[in-house]
Amino acid sequence: MSAAPTSRQRILAGIRSATAHLHPAGSAQETPVLPRDYVRRGSLSRDACLERMIERLREYDAEVVECSPGEIPAAIAAQLAQSGRKRFVAPEGLPAAWLADGVEWKIDHGLSTEEIEEAEGVVTAAFCGVAESGTITLHHSAAEGRRVLSLLPDWHLCVLRASQVVEALPEYFDRCAAPPALVTFISGPSATADIEMTRIKGVHGPRFLHVILVRDAS
Amino acid sequence: MRTSLFITCYNDTLFPETGRAVVTLLERLGVELEFRPTQTCCGQMHANTGFRGEAFSQAKRFVQLYRDAESVLIPSSSCVAMIRDQYHGLFEELGSESLRKDFAALLPRVYELSEFLIDRLGVEDVGAYFPHRVTYHASCHGLRALHLANKPYRLLAKVKGLDLAPLANTDRCCGFGGTFSIKNAEVSSAMLATKLQDVVTTGAEYCTALDNSCLMHLGGALHRQYAGMKTIHLAQILASTEEQPAEAFA
Amino acid sequence: MSHAELDPVYAPPFPEGALPVLRNPQLRKNVAHAIDVIQAKRGRLVAEKTDWQELRTAGSAIRAHALENLDYYLEQFEERCTAAGGHVHWAVDAAEARQIILNLLREEKASEVIKIKTMTSAEIQLNPFLETAGVKVFETDLAEIILQLGQEEPSHIVVPALHINRSQVREIFARSMGLKNLSDDPHALTAAARTYLRQKFLTIPTAISGANFLIAETGGVAVVESEGNGRMCLTLPRTMITVAGIEKVLPRYQDLEVMLQVLARSATGERMNPYTSLWTGVVPGDGPQRFYVVLLDNGRSRMLRRPVERQTLKCIRCAACMNACPVYRQTGGHAYGSVYPGPIGAILTPQLMELKHAQTLPYASSLCGACYEVCPVKINIPEVLLELRAQVTDKERKQTLRFFDPLYLGLRMANLLFARAWRFHLAQRFGRIGLGLFTRKDGWIHSLPFLGAKWTQTRDLRGLPQQTFHEWWAARERGAK
Repeated sequence: MSAAPTSRQRILAGIRSATAHLHPAGSAQETPVLPRDYVRRGSLSRDACLERMIERLREYDAEVVECSPGEIPAAIAAQLAQSGRKRFVAPEGLPAAWLADGVEWKIDHGLSTEEIEEAEGVVTAAFCGVAESGTITLHHSAAEGRRVLSLLPDWHLCVLRASQVVEALPEYFDRCAAPPALVTFISGPSATADIEMTRIKGVHGPRFLHVILVRDAS
Repeated sequence: MRTSLFITCYNDTLFPETGRAVVTLLERLGVELEFRPTQTCCGQMHANTGFRGEAFSQAKRFVQLYRDAESVLIPSSSCVAMIRDQYHGLFEELGSESLRKDFAALLPRVYELSEFLIDRLGVEDVGAYFPHRVTYHASCHGLRALHLANKPYRLLAKVKGLDLAPLANTDRCCGFGGTFSIKNAEVSSAMLATKLQDVVTTGAEYCTALDNSCLMHLGGALHRQYAGMKTIHLAQILASTEEQPAEAFA
Repeated sequence: MSHAELDPVYAPPFPEGALPVLRNPQLRKNVAHAIDVIQAKRGRLVAEKTDWQELRTAGSAIRAHALENLDYYLEQFEERCTAAGGHVHWAVDAAEARQIILNLLREEKASEVIKIKTMTSAEIQLNPFLETAGVKVFETDLAEIILQLGQEEPSHIVVPALHINRSQVREIFARSMGLKNLSDDPHALTAAARTYLRQKFLTIPTAISGANFLIAETGGVAVVESEGNGRMCLTLPRTMITVAGIEKVLPRYQDLEVMLQVLARSATGERMNPYTSLWTGVVPGDGPQRFYVVLLDNGRSRMLRRPVERQTLKCIRCAACMNACPVYRQTGGHAYGSVYPGPIGAILTPQLMELKHAQTLPYASSLCGACYEVCPVKINIPEVLLELRAQVTDKERKQTLRFFDPLYLGLRMANLLFARAWRFHLAQRFGRIGLGLFTRKDGWIHSLPFLGAKWTQTRDLRGLPQQTFHEWWAARERGAK
């Protein structure tokens, strides 16, 4: 005596019976070759691409400064000093040289939510920048930090290398050797237009986004 | 060149002057016009309201009637859209193989008026004279189904004496929508009110279009409101000359 | 406004539902303003995107392929999500989905939940069910808070509170947050919401979300948002429950390169929305350590058989269709009596209801085609509307009610008349006589009875000319001989 079909069985059976005629060869298929005639690769020069990234970030009211690879620690220190903030958190894998003096650091070796909530700012690395939309992608590696780290503090400084910047979104996907388990795409600080379509910035998540664009060899 | 005029059920009944204008215009352009008297309707009203079987019988009748015509000219973009967009599906579902064949052969020979003039006859200047301020309403079927683009504007540009006032929000539906104007009369009227704001702002004396269906809806409200503006089908503007102005057809 | 009004089972027919809105100038102004803002932004960005049409083609192909092979991809998603530490449940209908979620909450001993906005949870009427069961639900989207605290219903998929203006929001917040001196400046209102929610994010350990996309290849879930409340809900709590329609699945992570490009441009007129998050199962040390997905059918699998219906499920909930819709512009969302309003609602809701309800929705359209033009995944909405109209009519053919429907009878009669030219011509002569009785001295009809009154309530009708075109032609032929 067989048990009544589970919901899972019923749903899958329903789908299969509805789509069986589409698969004369048997069961459903893996992805065939689908038309992808859209732009998969940008056409801007390297410099123009970086200019576009900076321009789009600034449209979001993110502050962008540039520096050479050797200047990263100094650039970070300057940003932290200008912020007027004192208490910062940092991902476990953030390079030690980036932990500027003159401010309090809590390194995320398993910080509690309360400890992160007390922080005034966070510094992270990034995985990739997409110039067309001014998007920064975080894969939350050791140097980028757990997701909560770049979420709770009100001020986020992101160190983005020029070599990490691509023009078009499909180029980011090409850079993913394998799909990441965790991703956050950030395109400007949070915003809402729910009240009379008036765009208000900074609802939840950091209201202040600062980017250091490192002019490394690309 | 010969063509067979499909006047459409509602033009036949409500706007015969548009048909007379088409006849005047085409004869002036040297086109031999024939009119098959057993024609009735293309089936759009039924198809769009969900009466598919009924629409099929009318569609079948249309194809059988015009199978051997050199071309068919229709002064109504929504009827042409019905034929181009929906006949195939109706015949796939309900028709025979031979009907489908006949339709496939006929389809390229069916023309909306502005298409006939520009694509088939290759003319933009039809020798028209219409010394009035006019605004043009782009019916949705002509715009999105037939992709008429700038054809009507090209024709209007060559009409002597005509002052074309651009219409704002030109791609927004007037709200007629066939039986929609009855089934959703209040929403239809709200859409009409919004459209009329743009139409009346042009300060034009006439609002023209390629579909008397839209014009009946717009004109009905303009008349109700004593708005001081009339509607007129584009065919009547194009047929109008100094010797025989458009009013003479009405 | 009671919850029942967005329940297609109880909602009034569309023409009736539209009336109170049509008579509300404030609401119509709010809707038109919101639409114009988004449309203008969208227009600029679409013009800037040289491969927009190619993206639409690819988007349509990806979604269509996923639907044609839905069982394969759902099973793949389930396998990979489970391998990554998630638990996948399947719900045949809304009632089952609600119960599964409640059972999970009871296992968690959760008396409160925070929610990211999800249309799917509104579709299954989750909130009132949970409230009745003693679970307090806190919406966290600004619009959803406005609606929840104001006891209002959403009127748009992406901007659900667009029918509410700032002074109305001020009134709602001042009352429910106890903020007597709150101004109606949107900045102040938003700041009030931020403070109100912060504690909830930090303390409530259970969250419910929807999903914009389910990634089969990885078992991942993607949530697209603007405010950051999504990130809060999917990062801080201990337990996450995601409820998603089965049609949300995409084959590959890479498919997001198309979807993300078209979604933000279509929905809010931005190149990219502020935050998009993707997570896969459970990641030790980062985010919820208990993750459940509830896959919802609720009528979707039935729609897969025929292409004309199946295309409805390609929808990625961008709401571009309703922003482009001249009907929606006048009526807003509530008139549709469904959590899915506008053109997509007019085709999705009746199908989910198996056409037992929402039968007037397929007629809530003038068939102008603006929606199809803007749909990023090329759903031919007019085609589906026509198909559903045919299905509704075929149902009516079997009902006695049809003898009392003047439009039905009129169209059946018209078909008989159109079948023979002599009948048509005879009808035209009778029409001339009959309508002549209503034609005034100026040659126009100002008032008609019965069905005709629907026309003449706002429009005149020119009286029937004394000679039809075909009569004129015949006379001319005779004269010429």
